[in-house]
Amino acid sequence: MSAVDMRVRIGSLELRTPVMTASGTFGSGREYAAFVDLSRLGALVTKGVSLHPWAGNDSPRIAETPSGMLNSIGLQNPGVEAFVANDLNWLATQDVPVIVNVVGHSVEEYAAVATRLDAEEMVSALEVNISCPNVDAGGMVFGTSCPAAAEVVRAVRASTGKTLIVKLSPNVTDIVEIARAVEAEGADAVSLINTLLGMAIDTRTFRPKLARGVGGLSGPAIRPVAVRMVWQVAAAVGIPVVGMGGITCAEDAAEFMLSGATAVAVGTANFMDPAATVRIADGLERFCAERGMTRVSGLIGAARQG
Amino acid sequence: MCHAPAPHTESVTVIANERVAPGVGLVVLEAPRTAASVQPGQFVHLRIAEGADFILRRPFSVFRAGGGRLEILYQVVGRGTRVLADAEPGEGMDLIGPLGNGWRVVEGTAHALVVAGGLGAAPMGMLVEELARRGVAVTLAQGAPTGERLLARELFEATCRRVACATDDGSFGACGFVTGLSADLIERDRPDVVYVCGPEAMERVVATQAEAAGVPCQVSLERLMACGVGACLSCVVSTHHGRKRACVDGPVFDAADVLWEASEDPEAHPAPDPKPPAVAAPDPAAPGRGEA
Repeated sequence: MSAVDMRVRIGSLELRTPVMTASGTFGSGREYAAFVDLSRLGALVTKGVSLHPWAGNDSPRIAETPSGMLNSIGLQNPGVEAFVANDLNWLATQDVPVIVNVVGHSVEEYAAVATRLDAEEMVSALEVNISCPNVDAGGMVFGTSCPAAAEVVRAVRASTGKTLIVKLSPNVTDIVEIARAVEAEGADAVSLINTLLGMAIDTRTFRPKLARGVGGLSGPAIRPVAVRMVWQVAAAVGIPVVGMGGITCAEDAAEFMLSGATAVAVGTANFMDPAATVRIADGLERFCAERGMTRVSGLIGAARQG
Repeated sequence: MCHAPAPHTESVTVIANERVAPGVGLVVLEAPRTAASVQPGQFVHLRIAEGADFILRRPFSVFRAGGGRLEILYQVVGRGTRVLADAEPGEGMDLIGPLGNGWRVVEGTAHALVVAGGLGAAPMGMLVEELARRGVAVTLAQGAPTGERLLARELFEATCRRVACATDDGSFGACGFVTGLSADLIERDRPDVVYVCGPEAMERVVATQAEAAGVPCQVSLERLMACGVGACLSCVVSTHHGRKRACVDGPVFDAADVLWEASEDPEAHPAPDPKPPAVAAPDPAAPGRGEA
């Protein structure tokens, strides 16, 4: 193909392409291995992993909405030990940087998971999830106040020397102040946005469509919100931003990079097109080549330069 | 439990698409790769329409497969199936498949009871053909609101040793629910196995009947589904072994393993406001994977 240099850097992690998977939409990669050559991903971001097994929420857990979907999975996962034994050991046979999404009900649990994963050479980076809207304790509770976000990141930072990405919630008054707070505690990057809190009601049954009532909105419907937040955060922090929210094609990915993202993640689009990540990575390379660009990093924040 | 070969993506073409009962269609797809490998009870994840307004694929059981073609029975219940109902011969789509763990046929099975309620006939075509091929005597108990909604009767009549029907309005067969037929057939015939698909409340009743008689029972369960490949955990079913994914651990489960109390049932999640619906809700569990 072309001679576009697609490499970008997040902390100590060099990605061969800016396109990675969004946590929770790609399992641990194994589920998509029949459709995607994982070695062509920038990084594989796993589902959220907690210290102990989490059962998640009742069904129904999803609802389709205009240009998007609601989910309230609730971070169902088998716990970090089962994750290491089953998923991580399989990922170790794959040629792809692995970023593990870390969740907890308490600061101590986040730190314990980070400590456990710090021992795994296979893990390239941690993504600290302080933004899941679908659990009662933990998750977004930590991502919606600066002191709480700072406390989690401080504890995780003290538990690992690996590259630390902090995934931010859009369900805040000012996402910039949260981003600054986690940067000050040693985060190597921020990723945004997690889902927007939303709800849908079945007018036939008079009941919420999700068993939990509320859930997280994802898909193209949220893209303008996400691009705006990446634009604001990228201008305010000195660390790289991983942009996501409704990316379905190369142009969408480019839009995030132009607004200031160093890398991007593809989530909901995987459900419609299981090969979406690789299609977007290839398309992004073409996008650059067609414009005579020699480095994809030339897109980063370019919209700001008028 | 056997695991089928890895799923694939296949571009398919609509060969025929006809209404076979009120609100029910049968679409025939040219899909040679999938048709060659799909097993009874498995499903395909169909991309019905392009564009940002259709974020999710729709899962459909495969009714029959052969000669490079798939037959799918679907109920028109929402946006997705309305678009599918309008699909013309020659139109292209794509699917992911074959997916899921289908019906299991144990060696030595001599007599099987197949129970289908409404669109619960949708995953039963390949099953009865496979059972017949293996020399298993098949009794089919089929129920529907009216006689014209009893699906695929020709195939079932031709393939099964015996067919018993029940309709809510008595317009064909016995007047009443299919669970009345299954109660008698399980008690009297003591089949080696019961296969059931239908509204979840009906599946639960049949599972209870089978359990009381000590007969193994398999159920095909429907859940709203996003990825279809086991990644997103949208479609979980509560079981004695924890929450399982309908897309890869199911859609067929051993009935004895299902925790019905905790499984998907809108009535199990009462809203804070006790105001009842002004109009009775349509059956939300219409199986046959005819999701909105």
